[in-house]
Amino acid sequence: MRYLTIALSKGRLTELSVELFEAIGLDCTELKGSSRKLILTDEKNKIKFFLAKPSDVPTYVEYGAADLGIVGKDTLLEEGRHLYEVLNLGFAACRMVVAGPAELQGKLDQFNNKRVATKYPRIAREYFEHKRRESIEVIKLNGSVELAPLVGLSEVIVDLVESGRTLKENGLVVLDHIADISARMVVNRVSMKMESERINNIVDGIRKEIEKR
Amino acid sequence: MTKWKIYTPEGVQDILANECFFKRNLEDKIRKVFRSSGFYEVETPIVEFYDAFLAEDGITAQETMFKFFDQQGRILVLRPEITIPIARLAATKFKDVSHQLRFSYIGNTFNYKELGGGKQKEFTQAGVELLGINSPEADAEIIATAIKAVKVSGLENFQIDIGQVDFFKGLMEETGLSAEETEQMRVLIDRKDYLAVEELVKTHNIREDLKELVLSLPRLFGSLDVIDSVEKYSLNKKSINALENLRRVLRILDDYGLSKYVSIDLGMVQNLNYYTGIIFRGFTYGAGFPILSGGRYDKLVEKFGKVSPATGFSLGINMIMIALERQKIESEKPSIDSLISYKDEGRMIAFKVCEALREQGLVVELDVTRSEMVDLKQYAITKGIGGIINIVDEQCIEVHNIEKNETSTVTIDELLGR
Repeated sequence: MRYLTIALSKGRLTELSVELFEAIGLDCTELKGSSRKLILTDEKNKIKFFLAKPSDVPTYVEYGAADLGIVGKDTLLEEGRHLYEVLNLGFAACRMVVAGPAELQGKLDQFNNKRVATKYPRIAREYFEHKRRESIEVIKLNGSVELAPLVGLSEVIVDLVESGRTLKENGLVVLDHIADISARMVVNRVSMKMESERINNIVDGIRKEIEKR
Repeated sequence: MTKWKIYTPEGVQDILANECFFKRNLEDKIRKVFRSSGFYEVETPIVEFYDAFLAEDGITAQETMFKFFDQQGRILVLRPEITIPIARLAATKFKDVSHQLRFSYIGNTFNYKELGGGKQKEFTQAGVELLGINSPEADAEIIATAIKAVKVSGLENFQIDIGQVDFFKGLMEETGLSAEETEQMRVLIDRKDYLAVEELVKTHNIREDLKELVLSLPRLFGSLDVIDSVEKYSLNKKSINALENLRRVLRILDDYGLSKYVSIDLGMVQNLNYYTGIIFRGFTYGAGFPILSGGRYDKLVEKFGKVSPATGFSLGINMIMIALERQKIESEKPSIDSLISYKDEGRMIAFKVCEALREQGLVVELDVTRSEMVDLKQYAITKGIGGIINIVDEQCIEVHNIEKNETSTVTIDELLGR
């Protein structure tokens, strides 16, 4: 039997993903250990796991270097990869929003030449160009995006919001909702065909597990 | 000014001897398959007018084409695929021909899309087009040719998924979704995004039984019972005809004896404006991407001025090579059987021996460096040459077997088996 390869996002999704795979009977002992090995194996079920930077997971899966992957919807939207998105795992839920100073509430349409600071240039562009049919200037930042409108780098931001506390403490409000975000299971398009039985077993198992919770 | 001269641009690469040998052999085998079914090869230019590929419902996005200008300022492109050039060729060069047309091609195509990762911007496509006929027999013939082409490449474990876009089109008409919503739905189903399909379905007032069917679309792939399972729904004429058409194509493929390679995917819904009937894609282990794709495109040739139904497929030679390599399927490598060396006195004989051995089918390299035997042996070892034949005169020819490290002396008659 061929090995099935599963790519997991390194970070806050790792533990939750491991929990799910254990719940459906995969052996993740190696994953939980503090090994420095990059690829970890469940010999019994012929499954290999590896951890990758979240934004790389869709790439591994698209190219078939991994058959399955677990990754946030934000990354999927930003990477725009060609793959099957088969399951909403529900965890790591938050929202992708446009936010800005409270005085812009309801006035998003009224000013020309918007500068949008974001870690997600593609999502920002997609939203403004396709949904609002506006041209914008995207300013790509790598963290603390909320800072940008406060220091005059941009008018608004596009970012993930979980509780909204950071926004509130900095006098920013949600101006529009772009998408609901949570962890997703993705499958390579060819693997879905060539290994459909094994993959569907995993997908169905995890679906049942989520429904239980 | 010359800092880039030693590099190749991103996405294009040199193909060295072993790989090139393998690639040409593969192309030759596939070419033979095409020829043996009467699909004679044509060659279209690598450079075409952008207008030919522009059609709003074409299959190549504007931003993925390599573009430049001619002297009159018209936009040119490096062809992103070869089906459209063949449609242009058929509609213009064969515009008064009423019988069916069969073409094949093998050539390089260019696409900007992939940044980084394993996909190249220049890649070789091989394919066939059958124009002038809209029949299940024609669709099956194309699929059968595709299967033969993949088999001859050495791949055994592969699968061709067949769908019918009219099934989905009919279903969407029946649900009453607008063109825009249909496109939204298509994207979600193509992505097998079950959840988003469900959300979209919920927000519309669609007949309950159709809702159920739409929701199951992303999972409607597998064997023939997929068709059985949807026939219990009350569908419109378009969808019913699509299913019947699919059944007929599958029956023909069964008679071809190719059923084991074929499966069904009713959720295969790419390019609804381009494809008009049967569509299919080929998959195998190790490639990560489809190795081939094709289908019926009855509206394309019309854009070039001739009303003509058409069907065809194209196969990614590079994808096949990747799959063969990852599946560890042995590929032939080029090899040189003998290196022939001589001194002035033996030259004329050397040339004779050389030609005689080549006529016997051996690969013979003539030494033009006039090096000493020690150096020649070193060269032969490095290059994997089987033996060195040193011609002194007709009666004295030294044969050095490199692998066994043996030397013998023979006459010309003995050498050539006369």
